[in-house]
Amino acid sequence: MRKLLLIIVMAVCLPCTVSAQEIALKGKELFGDMKARHIGPALMSGRINDIEMHPTNTRIMYIGAAGGGVWKSNDGGATFSPIFDEHAQSIGVVTLDPKDPDQTIWVGTGETWTRNSVSIGDGLFKSTDGGNNWKEIPGFENSERIASVVINPNNTDEVYVGVLGALWSDSEDRGVYKTTDGGKTWNKILYVGPATGAADVIMDPINPNVLYASMWQFRRTGWSFTSGGENSALYKSTDNGKTWNKIHNGFPEGDLGRIAIAVAPSDHNILYAVLETEEKDKNGLWKSTDAGKSWEHLNNDFGLTVRPFYFSRITVDPKNPDIVVKGGLTGSISRDGGKTFKNLGPMHADIHDVTFHINDSDIIYSATDGGLYRSWNGGSVFEIVEDLPLSQFYHISTDDADPYNVYGGLQDNGSWYGPSSSPGGVNARDWNSVGYGDGFRVLKHPTKNIIYSEMQGAQNVWRYDVDRNRTRTVQPLPKKGDAELRFNWNAPMAVSVHAPDRFYMGSQFVHKSEDMGETWEIISPDLTTNDPKKQNQAKSGGLSVDNSGAENHTTIFTIAESPLDENIIWAGTDDGNVQVTTNGGKTWHNVTENLTGIPKNTWVYHIEASVHGKGTAYAVFEGHTTGDMKPYALKTTDYGKTWKSIVSEDIQDNAFVRNIQEDYENEDLLFLGTELGLYVTIDGGKNWSQFTNNMPPAAVHFIDMQKQTNDVVMGTHGRGVIIIDDISPLRQLTPAVLEKDVHFFETEPFTMTEDSGFSGSFGTETQFVGQNKPTSARIVYYLKKRHTFGKMEMEVQDMEGNKIASLTPGKSKGINIVNWNFTSATPKMAAGKTLSFSGFTAPRVPAGSYKIVLTKGKNTYENTITLKYDEKSLTTLAERKEQEQLTKEMFNMVEDLAYMVYELGQWQAKAQAVIENHPKGKKQAQNLYDALETLRKDLVVTTGDNYVASAEPELRERMGDLYADIAGSFSKVTAAQKQNMTLISEEFTEAKARYKKIKDKEGRKFMKFLEKNDIEKTSIKTKEAFLSED
Amino acid sequence: MKTVKTILIALLLIAVTPLTAQTADEIIDNYFENTGGKDAWQELEGIKISGSISAQGMEIPVEVIQTKDGEQLVTINFQGQEIKQMAFDGETLWTTNMMTMQAEKSDAESNENMKKQAKKGFPSPFLNYKDKGYTVELMGKETIEGTETYKLKLTQDPIMVDGKEVPNVSYYYFETENFVPIATENEVQQGPMKGQTMQNSMSDYQEVDGLYFPFDMGISGQSLKVKEITLNPETNEGMFAFPQ
Repeated sequence: MRKLLLIIVMAVCLPCTVSAQEIALKGKELFGDMKARHIGPALMSGRINDIEMHPTNTRIMYIGAAGGGVWKSNDGGATFSPIFDEHAQSIGVVTLDPKDPDQTIWVGTGETWTRNSVSIGDGLFKSTDGGNNWKEIPGFENSERIASVVINPNNTDEVYVGVLGALWSDSEDRGVYKTTDGGKTWNKILYVGPATGAADVIMDPINPNVLYASMWQFRRTGWSFTSGGENSALYKSTDNGKTWNKIHNGFPEGDLGRIAIAVAPSDHNILYAVLETEEKDKNGLWKSTDAGKSWEHLNNDFGLTVRPFYFSRITVDPKNPDIVVKGGLTGSISRDGGKTFKNLGPMHADIHDVTFHINDSDIIYSATDGGLYRSWNGGSVFEIVEDLPLSQFYHISTDDADPYNVYGGLQDNGSWYGPSSSPGGVNARDWNSVGYGDGFRVLKHPTKNIIYSEMQGAQNVWRYDVDRNRTRTVQPLPKKGDAELRFNWNAPMAVSVHAPDRFYMGSQFVHKSEDMGETWEIISPDLTTNDPKKQNQAKSGGLSVDNSGAENHTTIFTIAESPLDENIIWAGTDDGNVQVTTNGGKTWHNVTENLTGIPKNTWVYHIEASVHGKGTAYAVFEGHTTGDMKPYALKTTDYGKTWKSIVSEDIQDNAFVRNIQEDYENEDLLFLGTELGLYVTIDGGKNWSQFTNNMPPAAVHFIDMQKQTNDVVMGTHGRGVIIIDDISPLRQLTPAVLEKDVHFFETEPFTMTEDSGFSGSFGTETQFVGQNKPTSARIVYYLKKRHTFGKMEMEVQDMEGNKIASLTPGKSKGINIVNWNFTSATPKMAAGKTLSFSGFTAPRVPAGSYKIVLTKGKNTYENTITLKYDEKSLTTLAERKEQEQLTKEMFNMVEDLAYMVYELGQWQAKAQAVIENHPKGKKQAQNLYDALETLRKDLVVTTGDNYVASAEPELRERMGDLYADIAGSFSKVTAAQKQNMTLISEEFTEAKARYKKIKDKEGRKFMKFLEKNDIEKTSIKTKEAFLSED
Repeated sequence: MKTVKTILIALLLIAVTPLTAQTADEIIDNYFENTGGKDAWQELEGIKISGSISAQGMEIPVEVIQTKDGEQLVTINFQGQEIKQMAFDGETLWTTNMMTMQAEKSDAESNENMKKQAKKGFPSPFLNYKDKGYTVELMGKETIEGTETYKLKLTQDPIMVDGKEVPNVSYYYFETENFVPIATENEVQQGPMKGQTMQNSMSDYQEVDGLYFPFDMGISGQSLKVKEITLNPETNEGMFAFPQ
């Protein structure tokens, strides 16, 4: 009665708490338990900005990734787990509190190795519980990049933060900050100017009053980079940061660039600095042995001077001041106090940070563009950590294979493709290399097994014939009379759904090939602004020229051919133009003037030509290379004549947009890839929700929707490929659905996949393995309210209402997904001394329709799903029906045996009781017991164990094995299996006859005794009751 | 009837003032109040949970017994065999080896960790948590399973893992609407999952002799469906003890 009352009370009360507003679901409530899955890859990992060692516990270390968040290892760097998945994934620095290193962790976001493709940070964070929860520290919202967090070991409330700051614009948020109350209040204690940030702040290891700060004047634009200026300088403070003085005694005159600074932990008078100066021969390593009073130049080898903006980290061995490591293209190590260096051992290029093990300096960790490496022998041999899926995709695409493949190019890690699912999970070995250098766009030919890939600036565009293992380069080349071609670092490519051999590329022109890149035709004028001021890359870099091609500008960045009409082609440029042709390139319309709300020259990052109308397209813009981080996305339905904004205030104001993907069925369902994660709208952009279920706010550079599966596939710049399986339920979310207590979403018929290959997991213990897409049926429903009180159950029934299987329903508010692996219950096995492993095999159900019945309190909700056989099956329908029939016969035989053994056991128990309590009947009872025991020993195993001390198999084992063999197979039942079945069923018949004989003879005598002495008969459950009990 | 009343009041209060600030202690008090009252929870001597774990088409019957003295027993029933999967008599933690079906003592660390926790954890670590030396902190609100919850951090006595002491922290998510926990989170402390967070969920709360228990628990991807809960079940020392 109480329960009933409670339910009534709740039913009456609850509606008044659910207001109309809440029905318009957003965020976690909308997505319920739709979860993203990560498939990596980790074999090439990604750029790591910073490594932090625990000061006393050798098992614990952290890394801060350039675009992949913060990861913690509890096992000395063998494996890592992400601990910062709710915040910006671009990390500048991770610092542990020296007094409370287990609990208190500071994370400054925003990568500090300022290449063209860096992501932005989003403030300063602190955890006081070992990384489980994070609080943002107010005051650093606009810091963009935090280089240093330094804590006074004697008073850990005293913290210094070095803000490098904005890369693409002036910012007054730069400088060195100090708190004396653990982060509540801050003072800026060193500020040079809006263009000069703190590149490094360090503290004297003995005297916490002494600080060093290197200040760096730098600026990047979309087309240039400048390192250095009159404001770059190295400062020292001896009074807790109150006053700062330049310590340049010995440094050359003139402008300085980025300065790296380190103090030897074992001798605080020894400082090392790496300088970028106007005098080339004075670049490189400088040393002071008097705590910065004077400096001596030691070395300007390539390894010490290369790309200071990218490599400015010096690490000194904690015990030996003469062992110095400098990050660089290969990394360099000196064992003579910096006079000479040799390269670190082979590993991925571009070393950004190096740390030493706290107790054993032979063990060295190295943070590279391709993940984390560790050395056990002082830095000459390195091995990669295989557990960090930090891959930084610029672009991804999918094909229509089953399971489909994902293609994409990576920052400094080439081009790859790999399966979206694979036996045992998506492993490192599943990925295939299809390009060198930096990888960008990788496209599969629409019909042939041919892959296009490219490297930076389209220096090479490869056409790879996968089946024949042949590669050739097919990039457009200038011919007589052509202007010099300007390709973006990340040059656009496109294929056509209308003509499979067609292949587009973009320089300042749109290039079209109808023969897979053999011959090219320019089909547009220069579509860019062709602004010569933005074409001076040979002088880019500042004090150190850095013309890698990464700053190439005034180029086409995106090309989209309409899926509805091959004559409609869109092009967007990095300098802000949107152009469209409706006649296959004969004439182009510059529709840039029609854009609304987009600042001039804002990078057109992606144009999506819609399937919902020939004149419909989406364009996203991002101005981050001018310091404008605002999200911009526009839609046109009239070939660009008019545009309307489809972003809302739901999107974080600095989450600039790089990509948009429309749904192919519901025009109002859109996916937006931003610098700070994925956003989804179900109403054409009026409301957006950030998708956060197992989806960190990593920079989403490209989104594709795989057509056969409706999977949303994302290429992130720091967390690899992330997939949301089958988003079709989102298409069906309407206000009417949201009003219902329970709503089942319609699902396509499910294929019962018969793939049954092998999956060895040898040697993968410390490897990242990507999650597979479930191959089971997905039952998807919406709950208006989280189910907490009272019963809620789900079962599968056949269309006649017979129970097939119980499922565990999700109880979340929003969308729930329950998987069913197409099996009914396992058979009840006969009891023996050991376990029969064949009892783990559940029979698969036949194809057809099944009812899903959800019981929630007193209400029942039903839905029907359809299962179909695998079209790729090797089995005919007749063979399958036979397999199902024989499975059923074997299943029943296994259960008949179980019941027989049960019944027999009950008789034995009774006989045992009589032997013990009724001496007069002992003889009859003993005879019966013994006869039954002899039989039982032939039926089930009665000795041994489940491993190597196992007994010889008896009838149960042989019968069970055959059952499992037939039930678990997708093929026709073999002649051998049928013969074996005849044998086993004959044996069983024989056993049954023996049993009957015993019952007739010993059993009858025993029964007579029981009757005569008025002893209660053996109690035996009916077969039905026996089979249905647990 | 008291429970119904308090839930009714609680619900009404929420309906009227949904944003009332709560302290961790208020949330815990509300939880106990709404699920039978602190007194009743304190009087509980033991509990027997009978149910089944479903995994891949199999439903494995399982029985869990816990007592006020810290004794614990998990028995599974499989192919007619009763297997004591885990047992603790207050002193010795032991399991059954599935290869040999023989009882084996757990390692000393696990044993000590269990010894520290078993008694204090019954029937809930939150009950008189201050007397136990535990701390509780309200971390704020969070949406779990689509619904608004209070996130409480519970710190119990530290445990030893592979020779090192580590803090024993778990997070409980109490649904704001009714103050019952619907999910917990722990960091996995050993094995290949070490360092990852394990989330367990609780639903289908039902009343048993005046106390409310979740009848559906999702534990690391598997579901424990409860059929029956018996309060103060009959036990004997022998059933928990390592067989000599």
